Amino acid sequence: MRVPVIAAAAISPWGTGWRGLGQVLAASAAMPGAPGVPAELPGVPTELPLASPKARKMMSRGACLAASCLGELLRGVAWRRAECGYFLGVGASGGSLEDVIALLAASIADGAFSLERFGDRGLAACNPLLAFQLMNNFTMCHGAILEGIGGPNAALFSRGAGTTAALIEAVHAIAGGDCEQAIAGGADCALHPVTRAELARDGFVARGLVPAEGAALVALGAAGPPGATVVPGAPGGGSSAAPPIAVIEGCAIASGDARPLADAIDEAVSRAREGETLGEVDLVVIAPWGPPVAAELRAWTGANAANAAVIDSSSLGDALAASPALAWVAALDLLAAGRARRALVLGAGTDGDVGAVVLSRGAA
Amino acid sequence: MTVVITGVGVVSAFGIGTAAFHGALAEGKSAIGPIRSFDASSFPVRVAGEVPVVKPDGAWLAPRIGGHPLAAELEAQGALRDRKIAFGLVAAVEAWARAGAGDGERCAQLVIGLGLEQAFLEDFAPIFDGHAIAWDREPEAALPRTRFRSPVDLTARAIRRVLALRGPAIVNASACAAGALAVAHAAQLIERGAASIVMCGAADSMVNPLGLGGMCRLGAPSPRNAPDACRPFDRARDGLVIGEGAAMFVVEAADRARARGARPVATILGWGSTQDAHRVTAPRPDGAAACTAMQRALARAKLPPEAIGYINAHGTGTPLNDPAECKAIHGAFGRHAERVAVSSIKGAVGHLMAASGAIELAACLLALDRLLPGTAHHRERDPECNVDVIGPAPRPGATEVVLSSSFGFGGQNAALVLGRPA
Repeated sequence: MRVPVIAAAAISPWGTGWRGLGQVLAASAAMPGAPGVPAELPGVPTELPLASPKARKMMSRGACLAASCLGELLRGVAWRRAECGYFLGVGASGGSLEDVIALLAASIADGAFSLERFGDRGLAACNPLLAFQLMNNFTMCHGAILEGIGGPNAALFSRGAGTTAALIEAVHAIAGGDCEQAIAGGADCALHPVTRAELARDGFVARGLVPAEGAALVALGAAGPPGATVVPGAPGGGSSAAPPIAVIEGCAIASGDARPLADAIDEAVSRAREGETLGEVDLVVIAPWGPPVAAELRAWTGANAANAAVIDSSSLGDALAASPALAWVAALDLLAAGRARRALVLGAGTDGDVGAVVLSRGAA
Repeated sequence: MTVVITGVGVVSAFGIGTAAFHGALAEGKSAIGPIRSFDASSFPVRVAGEVPVVKPDGAWLAPRIGGHPLAAELEAQGALRDRKIAFGLVAAVEAWARAGAGDGERCAQLVIGLGLEQAFLEDFAPIFDGHAIAWDREPEAALPRTRFRSPVDLTARAIRRVLALRGPAIVNASACAAGALAVAHAAQLIERGAASIVMCGAADSMVNPLGLGGMCRLGAPSPRNAPDACRPFDRARDGLVIGEGAAMFVVEAADRARARGARPVATILGWGSTQDAHRVTAPRPDGAAACTAMQRALARAKLPPEAIGYINAHGTGTPLNDPAECKAIHGAFGRHAERVAVSSIKGAVGHLMAASGAIELAACLLALDRLLPGTAHHRERDPECNVDVIGPAPRPGATEVVLSSSFGFGGQNAALVLGRPA
C-alpha cells in the first residue's frame, strides 16, 4: 500500500515550519539553547484567536501546539474537513499547575494533605474547569474543534511508538476507504514539571534525554476532492496541482519489551515492508530517547542500511509523542529538497517499542 | 474475514468477574452506593458505581493474577493507588482464561483504552511550601516511587508483563470513547492481518478525590446523593454517576479460534468513529456526528438499520447527552428508531469513563445470549428521548445483532456492531 503525503507542518525548537528542518538536522546544527534543557519554543502562536477563553483554559501546552500545527497544515489544504480522519499521538494531560497550587494551598494543613479540607475548600479554590487534570485526548480535540475535523479518529497515548501507531491507523483509514484524507502526527510537551520529574526519576534524563516540546503533522491522501479550493504555495505545502511531497510505502510498530532493540527494529521494518526486505534507502532518520538508544539505532542502520545518511532528530530534544512525527517531517524535508530518494524513519521512545516508516519520493 | 470475541473479563461495581456482572444485570440490579474507598463526606457528590473493594492493593491483586510478583512490585511503588491498574489486570487475566488462551497466544498485541493519569494530591504536600511546589526538593522527598500521578500506560505495561504478551501495546486515550475505539482497533488489526490475536478493552477509575472533585466542578454528576442518582433518558435526569472498572476481550479471527477449539461469544461486525468538532465538554445538540458514527458502523457491517435488535446507548443521564443521542439514533435508524430497544447500564454501574464503551460491549454479550439489559432507575421517559427505552427490568429474549455507542469528552464518537456468533 502506498499513500501520498500531500502536506506537512511542524513546530520545533527551530520554530514553526517543516521546510528546512531536515536540512538543519543534516547539518548537525545544535538545538537552540543547547546544551542544557531547551526553553519553551520561540514564536509559537499560543493565542489561537479562534479559541474561546474557556476552551483556551482547557488547552494544555500540547493541545496548543497541536492546534497551531493543525492550523498551519490546513492553511495549504482545503479538504472536506467534516470527513477528514485525524489520528494523533498524544502525551500526558499536562494541565495547569496554577490550579493545583491553589488547590493545595487550600487543602494542606500542617504539612499534610487533608481530604476534608480538599472537599470543603480545595475544590472551590481551583478553576471550575479543573484545568490541572485535562483529558489526554484534548490535545487532539481542541484542534479538531477549531478546524472542524470530523472524520474517523483516535488519540493514542504515546511515548514513541503510539505516534507511529497513529500514522498506521491513518494510512489504513484511507486504504480501507473509511476516509479519503487523513491527518496523522504527534504533539507533546515534556517540559511540564511533572513530566520532567518523571523522566528524571525514571533515569531517562541521566541517560541523556533532553526534554523538549513540539508538534508535527502530515496530511495523507488525495490532494483534494473535486471543487476543493487549495491555496498554492501555502505553508503546508499542498496543492491540488502539485505532486505529493512523498509517499508512505509502509509503517509498522513492534514490541521492544524483553528483547534486544535490534530484534524489535527488524520486526518493525519487516512489517512495514509487509515481509519484503527493506531495499535501498539513502536516508535514515532516527528518533531515539537518549544516546544509548541512538547508538543502537545507528548500529542497526550500519548493519542494514550502510550506505544511508543517518540523521538524529533527537538534537531537537525529546518531545515524546511528537518526536517520531518530527522525524518523519525532517525526512520529508530532505526528500522534497532532493537530498534523498528513499528514507527510513526509526523511532524508539521511552515506552521501549519501535516504530518504522518507509517514505519515498514519487507518486502513489 | 470474520473477527470474533473468544474471551471476556469484567471488573465492575457488581464485583469481580463476568458472571457477577451479567448475573446482576439479568436481575435488574443497581450497584450505585456510597463511596467507601476514600472519605468523600466533604464532597458535593458522595455516591459512585464503585468496585466493591476498598483497597485493591498487592495482597488483593496477587491471587487474582496468578500470584505474579508484579502485584508486590506495583504495591511497593505506590502505583496501585490508581485503582484502574488492578482492575485492568484482573479483567485481562479473566478474559485470557475464558478464551482458553495459552502459550500459542502470547504473540498477542494489546490495544487498551485508558483514562487519564490519576493524580495523587497527597504526594505534593511534602514539597509544597504554601505558595509553590518546590521541585528541587522532589528527588530527596520521602515519596512513593510512582508519585504525583500514575503513568497513563502503566496498566498496559502491567498487562503485557503478566500475560507475557509479545506484541506491541497501543493505548487509546480517547476519553469515554476509548474503550469502544480500542475494540474497533483490535478488530481492524485482525481484519487486515496485522495481528492474529489481540487483547483489547479498557480500564478506568475516577473514583478518587481529584477525579470525583474535578467532575463535580464541571457539574457533570447528578447532585443527588442517592442510589438512583443516574436515570438515563428519564424526564427527571440530572447528571451522571461516576463508575469504575474494566472490561477486556480476546479478539481473533474466527478461523483461528475454531482451529484452537475456542468458542466465540460474539462477532465484531462493524465500527465507525467521528468527531463532533463542537465543544470539549458538550455534545453536538443535533447528534449529527454521533449519527454518522452509527451509520459507518452499520455500513461496515453491511447491515440495514432493521437488522439491529438492541442498542446499548452511551446514555449518561446528563441533560445534554441523552436527547442528542436519541437524535443520532433517529438519524441513523430512521423509522426503525422507534422500534429498536434501547437501554443504558450507566444507572446500574455508573459511567466508567474510558472503560464505558468496553463494559457496555460486555453488557451486549448478554443481549446476544439471553436478555436485553435494562435501564436502572428509569421511570418516566423524557419526551425528547423518543426511543423505545427499556425500563429498569431487563427485557427477556435475545437478539441477533446489537449496536453500542460511546461518546467522549472532547467530542469523539464511536459505534460498534456485534453479532451472535455463527
